Amino acid sequence: MVELLFEDIFTLTRLDPDGKKFDKVSRIEARSEQFDMYMQLDVNTEIYPLHVGDKFTMVLTPTLSLDGTPDSGYFTQGGRKSLADKFEYVMHGKLYKISEEASGGPNVKVEIYASFGGLLMMLKGDPSNAAQFELDQRLFLLMRKV
Amino acid sequence: MAPREEKLRCTKEPYIEDVGPQRIKSILFSTFSGEEIKKLAEVQVWNNRIYGVDLRPVENGLLDPKMGAANKTGVCATCHGNFTECPGHFGYLKLTLPVFNVGFFNSILNVMKCICKACARILLLENDRRTFLKKMRNPKADIFMKNALMKKIRDKCKISICPRCGSRNGVVKKARSSFAIAHDFSRSVDDSIEVVRAALSHIKAKSSFQIVHILSPVTVLSLFKRMVDEDCELLNLYDRPEKLIVTTIAVPPVAVRPSVFVDFGKSSNEDSITTILKNIINTNSILREDLEGAAPPFKCLDCWAHLQIQVVEYINSEAPSVPDSKHRGLIQRLKGKQGRFRGNLSGKRVEFTGRTVISPDPNLKITEVAIPVLMAKKLTYPERVSAYNIEKLRQRICNGPDKYPGANFILLADGTKQHLRYVDKKTAASELKYGYIVERHLEDGDVVLFNRQPSLHRMSIMCHRARIMPWRTLRFNESVCNPYNADFDGDEMNLHVPQTEEARTEALMLMGVQNNLCTPKNGEILVASTQDFLTSSFLITRKDTFYDRAAFSLMCSYMGDAMDPIDLPSPVIIKPIELWTGKQLFSVLIRPNAHTKVFLNLMVKEKIYTKSETMCPSDGYVYFRNSELISGQLGKATLGNGNKDGLFSVLLRDYNSHAAASCMNRLAKLSARWIGNHGFSIGIDDVQPGEHLNQQKKKKIDEGYRECHELISLYGKGKLTLQPGCNAAQTLELKITGVLNQIRAIAGNVCMNELHWRNSPLIMSQCGSKGSPINISQMVSCVGQQSVGGRRAPNGFIDRTLPHFPINSKTPAAKGFVANSFYTGLTATEFFFHTMGGREGLVDTAVKTAETGYMSRRLMKGLEDLSIYYDQTVRNASGGIVQFLYGDDGMDPAKMEGKDGIPLNMDQLFMKIMATCPPREHDMLSPTEALRIMDHRLAKYDMSPEGGCSAAFKKLLSDFIHKRVSALENMRKSLKLDEINIGRKDSTVLENVAAKISGISSKQLEVFLETCISRYHSKKVEAGGAIGAIGAQSIGEPGTQMTLKTFHFAGVASMNVTLGVPRIKEIINASKNISTPIVTATLLNGRDVLSARVVKSCIEKTVLGEVAKALKIVLKSSRPYIVVKLDMDLIEALHMRVSAESVCHSILNHPKIKLKSEHINTIGSDKLKIYPPEADRRKLQFEMHSLKAMLPKVIVKGIPTVERAVINETNGVYNLLVEGTNLLAVMGTPGIDASKTRSNHVIEVQRTLGIEAARQCIINEIQYTMRGHGMSIDTRHMMLLADLMTYKGEVLGITRFGISKMKESVLMLASFEKTAEHLFNASYGGRDDQIEGVSECIIMGIPMQLGTGILKVRQRYIYKST
Repeated sequence: MVELLFEDIFTLTRLDPDGKKFDKVSRIEARSEQFDMYMQLDVNTEIYPLHVGDKFTMVLTPTLSLDGTPDSGYFTQGGRKSLADKFEYVMHGKLYKISEEASGGPNVKVEIYASFGGLLMMLKGDPSNAAQFELDQRLFLLMRKV
Repeated sequence: MAPREEKLRCTKEPYIEDVGPQRIKSILFSTFSGEEIKKLAEVQVWNNRIYGVDLRPVENGLLDPKMGAANKTGVCATCHGNFTECPGHFGYLKLTLPVFNVGFFNSILNVMKCICKACARILLLENDRRTFLKKMRNPKADIFMKNALMKKIRDKCKISICPRCGSRNGVVKKARSSFAIAHDFSRSVDDSIEVVRAALSHIKAKSSFQIVHILSPVTVLSLFKRMVDEDCELLNLYDRPEKLIVTTIAVPPVAVRPSVFVDFGKSSNEDSITTILKNIINTNSILREDLEGAAPPFKCLDCWAHLQIQVVEYINSEAPSVPDSKHRGLIQRLKGKQGRFRGNLSGKRVEFTGRTVISPDPNLKITEVAIPVLMAKKLTYPERVSAYNIEKLRQRICNGPDKYPGANFILLADGTKQHLRYVDKKTAASELKYGYIVERHLEDGDVVLFNRQPSLHRMSIMCHRARIMPWRTLRFNESVCNPYNADFDGDEMNLHVPQTEEARTEALMLMGVQNNLCTPKNGEILVASTQDFLTSSFLITRKDTFYDRAAFSLMCSYMGDAMDPIDLPSPVIIKPIELWTGKQLFSVLIRPNAHTKVFLNLMVKEKIYTKSETMCPSDGYVYFRNSELISGQLGKATLGNGNKDGLFSVLLRDYNSHAAASCMNRLAKLSARWIGNHGFSIGIDDVQPGEHLNQQKKKKIDEGYRECHELISLYGKGKLTLQPGCNAAQTLELKITGVLNQIRAIAGNVCMNELHWRNSPLIMSQCGSKGSPINISQMVSCVGQQSVGGRRAPNGFIDRTLPHFPINSKTPAAKGFVANSFYTGLTATEFFFHTMGGREGLVDTAVKTAETGYMSRRLMKGLEDLSIYYDQTVRNASGGIVQFLYGDDGMDPAKMEGKDGIPLNMDQLFMKIMATCPPREHDMLSPTEALRIMDHRLAKYDMSPEGGCSAAFKKLLSDFIHKRVSALENMRKSLKLDEINIGRKDSTVLENVAAKISGISSKQLEVFLETCISRYHSKKVEAGGAIGAIGAQSIGEPGTQMTLKTFHFAGVASMNVTLGVPRIKEIINASKNISTPIVTATLLNGRDVLSARVVKSCIEKTVLGEVAKALKIVLKSSRPYIVVKLDMDLIEALHMRVSAESVCHSILNHPKIKLKSEHINTIGSDKLKIYPPEADRRKLQFEMHSLKAMLPKVIVKGIPTVERAVINETNGVYNLLVEGTNLLAVMGTPGIDASKTRSNHVIEVQRTLGIEAARQCIINEIQYTMRGHGMSIDTRHMMLLADLMTYKGEVLGITRFGISKMKESVLMLASFEKTAEHLFNASYGGRDDQIEGVSECIIMGIPMQLGTGILKVRQRYIYKST
């Protein structure tokens, strides 16, 4: 069985915090229920519209295959069964940075950055959630509204 | 040269020594005597007729065939060579009476001043003569010392009575009326003159009596002949002085003064020289007849004078004694831009060149240039036939000269040349043998040089590969526009084809485009994407550009003509539909497939960047990680020219020029095709402001106008708070200008925010391809204030700009504020003001080009021969050391990666190492371990000064590591981790996370250090590098871009400093008087305003009139006087420390008021009584008034040369800006920190602080000026210039005076300026030109000793044992 790096249900709190800059892409701000993670994510809202207050499950995984074989990076032909089948919106990208939060409070939070071909994700939360992530890791982001 | 049968036939061939290849080692300049000229000449010229009746040149005439072949059909009567073989021979023309040579006239005069006019010995006492002779013979004395010594001797030779023969000597000077030497006794006569005068008084009472002899050339010649050799030596004469006087004229060969037949041979057009010589022959023969016959003496003298004038004209037709000559004399042939030196010797016309209009072609590689077929058929390359190319060349020969891949000539083994138009091509092809040379047409891949004038820097001529294409223009990739500064509005460019393999390789290696991507000016990349490439990249990498599989694959194939293998990345959005983003396209562009081993890592902030790094909401933070575009919309900062950490720079530094070039090629193709499909244009709707924008603009302009009106009314009431160092009017101007500029800036910002992102001008401005926010705002909202000479529009009418406005109006509209936009249209007055500003710009560019051109030329002449030697020193051509280590660290400015000429950009390099070598599990270093590894590495040999590493770099590296380590420590501290636990297998989750955040493994650190150090060592400047020329270009080229903005506020408003070309000129000329001298004085107590005021009042010039309350004349019967009452309140308020005592002292010291201490009485501390000196009663009143008028101007306090001083505040610290000179006095003022006080006057700094301070001052000032125009130039260039200007021990300007003190070579100086003067002086002093410098070598056609010419191969010669 595939090992998921992260899974949680988020609630969309804000859309485009700095104003709408792009026609087809919006930046969403969301908070998770289980780990109390804060997330900023660029989503192609043209093909997957989202609104403030929407709740969705988000999963981060290194591969889409159900048996956990690592992703080859190449296109697989034929509609093989995959993790993506259960989700509505799937992106593929790369983890490029892990850093600690700039403001040094008592509870230091860790920020995880990933880029899906320019659509960026920033996931902020407790350091313990970051342990499984690796730099330069290939990531799949899967979303499904609940 | 002579035909074989005419040669003298000997039974044995005469022995001719085989001297082998010869090389001109030096040129000695000297003079010829009449006899020598006669010996050198082949024929005496005396006949004044040129052609006989048979239209043949007359014997002993000016075109005598013995002086060489006159035209292509002629044969030389001396050597029997034809026009091409015979270089020509001299003739001679004997003058009846000697005449002066204009060129030597001053030298003759000087010699005459120094010798006795009776016995021809030097007018020096024996002792002086001996000492001077000893000094003159000092072998260490160079030319400059000898010249100075000669001047000294000349000053000493003022004895009126010759110490040897006792005869009387007068003053020798140039006769006022004509071209002659006058010997004037009027000064050196004793009382005998009175006797004479008395005796003559009855004859002519009125005429002034003068005793002047005219020294004729004959007397001078006879005196010169009697001069002793030792005396000649004293006067630095190389040869006998009589040679300075013309007795025989050498008639130049016919070849240099061609005679042209006109009117079908009926008459001929003679050269100026021939004409003048003909006149001389005429006058000469008349003079001889007059002398032989018994003509009256005055007629002979007249004739002689006439001859003299004609000989002067022959040498210098522009001499003042020659009235409006129509001919060109010998000097005129040599001097000037078109003259022999600059026009024919320093630069020559060449073959195998082409020139035509240029046009762009993004499909070409950046290293290529498209050459029209028409041109390719004329330009040929001589290719030697070998086994590898014989078939190809046969084919070319068969095609012949008219069919494109053909050939024009064949050079056979015996050296004969066959034109392929006139031989049978088939047979020629079949008879082709190895070793023949075929001059074939240019083909694809041939090496050509490409150039655009003005060639301001070395990148103006670069080497490209040819691509033969149809049509008629030369084409190249737009990325290469920048180095040539070319656009396609009708520009033409030149093409040269190197003709040998050596030339080709050298061109390719040194001048190839791919080897000149960076400018040596500051190491910034110059060949980079421009204009449309930037626009399309910007649009492609927008966050919301998505492509489906078909579109994405198509675009991938755009960039390599679908010929390159490409690994398609997996799509970003997999579900609901597969979509790729534009950013992925760039990842493909950088690294198309897995075989391309390019891992690009860089971070750049684009223009649109706002905040929070990669998460920037407007996507302005460009981050490439291992050749993958993580974030950011690409623009000029990443892809454009003029930066050091852009994409292409990083590719070039981290990989090689090929990686950068191929990336540029791909980008050019992709973006040209993409934008062709996408479309990008501009229309009227792009500049139409929206409703909101209009409202905003109106609001802002109304606000601004109101503010201005308030200011004006305040000014009218005189209630304006003054700015430091300004009067009310200036303050008003400053404030209004500030408000109005604010309006435009705000209008611009509103524009940028309000316009839709699809707006074409907005896109272009954001990505940096063209236009600025100001340009957009001018089109859309408001044109803004028009300025003329840095101020608002001046008053063209009485107290107003235009008659449309009331007198003295200072409102924005009346002083040239244009509230309209180009879209709404300008009103008549606005339009007029706009043209005023526009005209200033045009005039400025026109004037600046000429000025900077001359400046560049001078810089080049000054610095041309400086180069790096193998011992890393910078020397000039004669081996004199200018710098011990180039730029103090021996680094090549072209290779510098960091800002301000720092060798490496360590942040970028560190990031690359961290990204490209990922750490293995659990081998992270603790902070202390990291430091230990670094210290160990830095202790090695190649990091020591002996190993060629500067201390600065070592410190840079260790500082960087320390910074990293402390960052690591801080991070660990905030995660509450301790030191010891690092790198263990059993580490906690937190430890793992910490390692991922900013851990560094030992391998990574090692690789980083190793890369830094090896790269540092590879950046050393190479031996032979012509860094002088590069430095000159690097300073000269930016000069052309410095337009307008001649003034700039130095900290305080109202204190201007000159900037721009005028300032650069001042510095380079080492001007004694500069237009805005400013001393920046640091105060000992910088935090206290009061003390600053006290010091200021000590420095600033205060006159008595300013501090006096009253200045009255008191008339009393006893003795009238003037009362001066000082305004003690004012003096106290300004902390001036002026009292009656000090005023009294100042008055006494005033140079014009001649009073003595008894004339002034001080009464108390604030009152003075001044009595005029005893004088005539009648004049007393007058005297009193003149004294009263003078008194207010007496300086009572401060430095007289200081105009004013202004207190300047920068974050709480006060300093003084002193306008004026006298650095020494400012430094000596109490309260001033002398060690931190600086001046911008180079010469003054040299006088007060010495030569090293002057050097630093030159560097700082050039840097400051360049920075004022936003131009960065590597400091090494300025150091070199400053060192050249100061290395002789005094500050020498790069002017004709300075350069002639720096260089010894006559040819170089002659090719610079004052050609004739230098040549005549050289032959007077017998100068020897060693032909070492660049100019001399070019003139003589010898390879110069710079660059590749520095290296000399010496071969051991094996003597044959015979």
